[in-house]
Amino acid sequence: MSTPARRRLMRDFKRLQEDPPTGVSGAPTDNNIMIWNAVIFGPHDTPFEDGTFKLTIEFTEEYPNKPPTVRFVSKVFHPNVYADGGICLDILQNRWSPTYDVSAILTSIQSLLSDPNPNSPANSTAAQLYKENRREYEKRVKACVEQSFID
Amino acid sequence: MADDPDNSVPAEPEKMFTLKRWNCVCFWNWDVECDVCAICRVQVMDSCLRCQADNKRDVMGRQDCVVVWGECNHSFHHCCMSLWVKQNNRCPLCQQEWSIQRMGK
Repeated sequence: MSTPARRRLMRDFKRLQEDPPTGVSGAPTDNNIMIWNAVIFGPHDTPFEDGTFKLTIEFTEEYPNKPPTVRFVSKVFHPNVYADGGICLDILQNRWSPTYDVSAILTSIQSLLSDPNPNSPANSTAAQLYKENRREYEKRVKACVEQSFID
Repeated sequence: MADDPDNSVPAEPEKMFTLKRWNCVCFWNWDVECDVCAICRVQVMDSCLRCQADNKRDVMGRQDCVVVWGECNHSFHHCCMSLWVKQNNRCPLCQQEWSIQRMGK
């Protein structure tokens, strides 16, 4: 059955295909438009460069009035990414707006990779290294970039 | 001179064609900015996704999905907006406190 959430997601998919943002891609899984797989390429001139980070996005029937659950499947060493891949990003929680679509969500996460917010850490080690030992932070990030090629 | 054939009234040039019928075609569009509702991504002048799915009509058989404009001048389908303001009374585009300026088509 086609519900408003599913129809909106069809439109999101169409827009993503017609006007694809650079460095991100996503598509619904074969048999369920409510679950998407996505990839974010590490932004240039950041330690994440060249990484291919996979994510899953799960929507509910309340979309777009409620945000989807977005999670990294690839291991990501980042101040705002939890060990289980969960992402701490305001627009996916209290700053959500029903005008966002998949394209906006993925580009926001991509810019979070470039600009971490170490003041609301989901990974305290990453936040501390980002603030106090940038060289070690970049080394740990590069290791997860290498890891992203394999998984 | 009267015999001069060059001075006589010139003969009607042979008709190339005759116009027998002429069908006019007009194109028109609304003289308003045709915004897309940022919530459901359908043009505000059309019914929202929800109403399209339900095929809602009023007693006259017209689609009764109206447009709502906020004080911030952003427009949405009234259906889409009324669901959103239940959880957050702000314009989804500019985050200003939402208050209705006008409603209609």
